[in-house]
Amino acid sequence: MAGVGSHAARIGLVRFAGEVPYAPALALQDAIASSVKKGSLPSLLISLQHKPCFTLGKRGKLDDVLARDEEAKCDGVEVVRSNRGGEVTYHGPGQVVVYPIVNLRTIKFGPRKYVETLEDAVVHTVAEMGLSARGRVPGATGVWIGDRKVAAIGVRISGGVATHGVALNVDPDLSKFRDIVPCGITDREVTSVWRELGGRGPTAEEIGDRLLRRLAALLGSPGGGFSPLSPPEMGEVEGFARRVAPGASFSVE
Amino acid sequence: MLSTSVRQGARQLRLVRNVAVAALANGSAQPIGAQIAQSCEFGSAALVPLKKTELVSLSQVGGNILPFAARGYATVVDGLKYAESHEWAKVDGETATIGITDFAQSELGDVVYVELPEVGATVEAKETFGVVESVKAASDVYSPVTGEVVEVNDALVDDPSKLNSEPFEGGWMMKVKVSDASDLDGLMDSAAYSASCDE
Repeated sequence: MAGVGSHAARIGLVRFAGEVPYAPALALQDAIASSVKKGSLPSLLISLQHKPCFTLGKRGKLDDVLARDEEAKCDGVEVVRSNRGGEVTYHGPGQVVVYPIVNLRTIKFGPRKYVETLEDAVVHTVAEMGLSARGRVPGATGVWIGDRKVAAIGVRISGGVATHGVALNVDPDLSKFRDIVPCGITDREVTSVWRELGGRGPTAEEIGDRLLRRLAALLGSPGGGFSPLSPPEMGEVEGFARRVAPGASFSVE
Repeated sequence: MLSTSVRQGARQLRLVRNVAVAALANGSAQPIGAQIAQSCEFGSAALVPLKKTELVSLSQVGGNILPFAARGYATVVDGLKYAESHEWAKVDGETATIGITDFAQSELGDVVYVELPEVGATVEAKETFGVVESVKAASDVYSPVTGEVVEVNDALVDDPSKLNSEPFEGGWMMKVKVSDASDLDGLMDSAAYSASCDE
């Protein structure tokens, strides 16, 4: 369990292009988290979009994947179980996914404050587009516009380091959410930024950028920017990324 | 709105609330805040939102409801040993009962799921023995001692919220036959733990 208080710490960025399958991203998070725990890497934000997949947290019930015939595939969309908190959700292109791999002990954040910070970052980011959203809803972690969920959050804390993070819907295929009981919640709609704007808006890449900067400001150094990684740190991250996702294109800052 | 800040958590919170309820029932002229201050010797502090259960119990005392706000600090129980990672150990002969502290449960939020080890499994000091998942996050918990798990609290499977409501009592997680008593020397007593939470 992590501590609480105020902070000032380095935070780096790894940004993937294209669509990254879920399992390699899990493996990458674990590898980076190990290094963050040991101290050979500073906290890092991993930014990406996923190939279409349904994912289950520890509690997620396969029954919540409604249209399935078998565990492995659901209408051609793969189903993967992970060790994060939360229940079932959909990931896919058009959805901004950020996995902050953060040493909560260094910045002295407890689990509650950390999750609220993730929510706050999303709320600020969508507010810049004129959308009024809220987090910190008791019993309903995530970011809501009205009673429609625009961003899901699932976090795992191990050895004081947080993994997994936030998925903000910009313009994903919302119909996929009808194939599941998202986050175990049956009676609330899932929405997206474009849907709330009533049409095209900034791209997922643009919105992702703004969210990353906001997260860096809230989780990292007070100046708000990313701290460039040193060459050995960069090498370590590139090594992990190449091993788990060979062929993926990414940049490390 | 009256307010008071309460150290020592749940027990004191009930005490303060009882005074307020009695004061409302008596229709006493003396401001309730002053009565509480007298009875409990506490000063005043910031206003915080009232928990629903407290509001309901006050409103049942006839007529006017005085919104009453009290902020509870985490309870730390004397006589237990504490790990930096917010687990406690209650030692009884060869056996240690293990759980998470009031501070830990309040940081986590409402617990919805608990993963415990099997009876017979070995746990190692400072290594993960299970996972506690709240509405906020799934968090590893660490064993303060090394030894064999002799009992786990199955009640938590059906009612994980016991970790929130009774972190030191009904929310106990496992009992371990301690193989190396020197592990306990590395743990904090209640005063040291309390101080470390205030950092």
